[in-house]
Amino acid sequence: MKNVPSRSGEWSVLRRMKEIRGKVVRLFYFLLPLLFIAILWELIVYFRIVSPSRTPSPLQICLKLYQLTTPKPILLNNLFESLLRLVLGYMLGALLGILVGILTGISKPFYRAFSPILSLLISVPTLAWVPLLLVTLGTGDETIVFTIFLGGFFPVVYNTMNGIRGIEKQLVWASRIMGADKTTVFFDVFLPGALVSIITGLRLAIGYSWRALVGAEMLAAGISWGVGHMIYAARAFSDVEAMFAGLVIIAVGGILMDRLIMDPIERRTVEKWGMVKER
Amino acid sequence: MKKVKVRAIDVNKTFGSGKNKVTAISDLNLEVKENEFTVLVGPSGCGKSTFLYLVAGFEKPTSGKILLDGESITKPGPDRGFVFQEFALYPWRTVLGNVMFGLEIGGTPKATAREKAMHYIKMVGLEGFENAYPHTLSGGMKQRVGIARAIAYDPEVLLMDEPFGSLDAQTRKVMQGELMKIWEEMRKTVIFVTHSVIEATYLADRIIVMTARPGKVKGIIDVDLPRPRDYTGKKYLEIRKKALDLLEEEVTKSLKIHPKTN
Repeated sequence: MKNVPSRSGEWSVLRRMKEIRGKVVRLFYFLLPLLFIAILWELIVYFRIVSPSRTPSPLQICLKLYQLTTPKPILLNNLFESLLRLVLGYMLGALLGILVGILTGISKPFYRAFSPILSLLISVPTLAWVPLLLVTLGTGDETIVFTIFLGGFFPVVYNTMNGIRGIEKQLVWASRIMGADKTTVFFDVFLPGALVSIITGLRLAIGYSWRALVGAEMLAAGISWGVGHMIYAARAFSDVEAMFAGLVIIAVGGILMDRLIMDPIERRTVEKWGMVKER
Repeated sequence: MKKVKVRAIDVNKTFGSGKNKVTAISDLNLEVKENEFTVLVGPSGCGKSTFLYLVAGFEKPTSGKILLDGESITKPGPDRGFVFQEFALYPWRTVLGNVMFGLEIGGTPKATAREKAMHYIKMVGLEGFENAYPHTLSGGMKQRVGIARAIAYDPEVLLMDEPFGSLDAQTRKVMQGELMKIWEEMRKTVIFVTHSVIEATYLADRIIVMTARPGKVKGIIDVDLPRPRDYTGKKYLEIRKKALDLLEEEVTKSLKIHPKTN
């Protein structure tokens, strides 16, 4: 019985050690192909198959990353500014997305009214909004945050809605016959029942928000900090290393958010409940 | 004469419209007596599950009405309990959480609810599993939770929709025996739907055999046998044969009407 907490301390220590060992092994398998590519790349640059001034080697990029952090923490300042915008835009998108998603999932009239609009808007690339927003909201933070919001909102709405609509009718019936009112059905059946999909939506939204963030930062002229801005500004000096450094930061930032925020939520809920497979 | 608990009067239920219209139940009239174990048997697709949904209030009859204690049923409510064929347990609640849910909804204080829920968990033989999540349980154990959940808040009528239909033959037999013990202890009005005559004859005070779709009452058989019943007893086999003969005609008929569904 893996869900019955074990009473003996020794066993839990052993299990904990096993868990840690599993994590290390997983990390190793995750890094292995990356390491392989990095070495290959390093060799290609080393033997001058491509020019190091146009395509910097992994070591050059690492060096650049170091230079960007000391003595002045330029990279961190850029990252911090970007993260602030990301958190704000993402939170807005996630909260409103879940709310609208639940409403459209539960209520037929809402679904009828909203789903055509949703299917139209979901195919518009988020960045296509930016020129319009630059005119209406200006060239500053508002535009960037709103773009992030748009990037996160749609995947959350769509997945939440489908999650609610996919809940087995019998689960709702079972609660209704026990006397559950609408509020109880909402909080005790719809919300946990749709959680797998909501988490999927939130996951996708992190990726979309990052993309929206970086893109918008490149196009908004009124800002002076941000990872996207840094990459775009490096163009003026043909500073390819800084561009790559920016790409690395974006990729690592995205994956860290996914693993540090979404993974623990998933493990504590839907994975424990057996609603998704354990990894 | 026992009191009538549930009464169906001229009940019709159709699904869809136009070409796709399907009549599941037509002019159904039947009575279920208080504290009796009534089993509905019929060929598959005869509307017996639909009838149970109507009694539960999950669906509304197209015409006619169903009375519970003389009052027309309009919606689901805790005076009834339901056991689903596919269990319909909440994966995010533990065994205890599932069984307590009805009591929580009814506003029973947490400690009392816990105590009561534990009583029913013991009754269905799941003591020690109260903190397990449903996905870790076998089919038979899941349905024990389903039964405990449906009776924990003390409904007057227990509705069971082919509750052992998705269990293997061995587990099924064990569950039938245990259900009988539980029922003898609580003596609630039970409406139990199955397509197995063996199961019906083992469990029922009265067997109601239904016709092929659209569903009507084909015949009623009183099973006046002491419990626990012997699957090979002479009287048992006689009654079983009687029910089987009634049903067989309908199964043949339903195969002719819906060749594809079988």
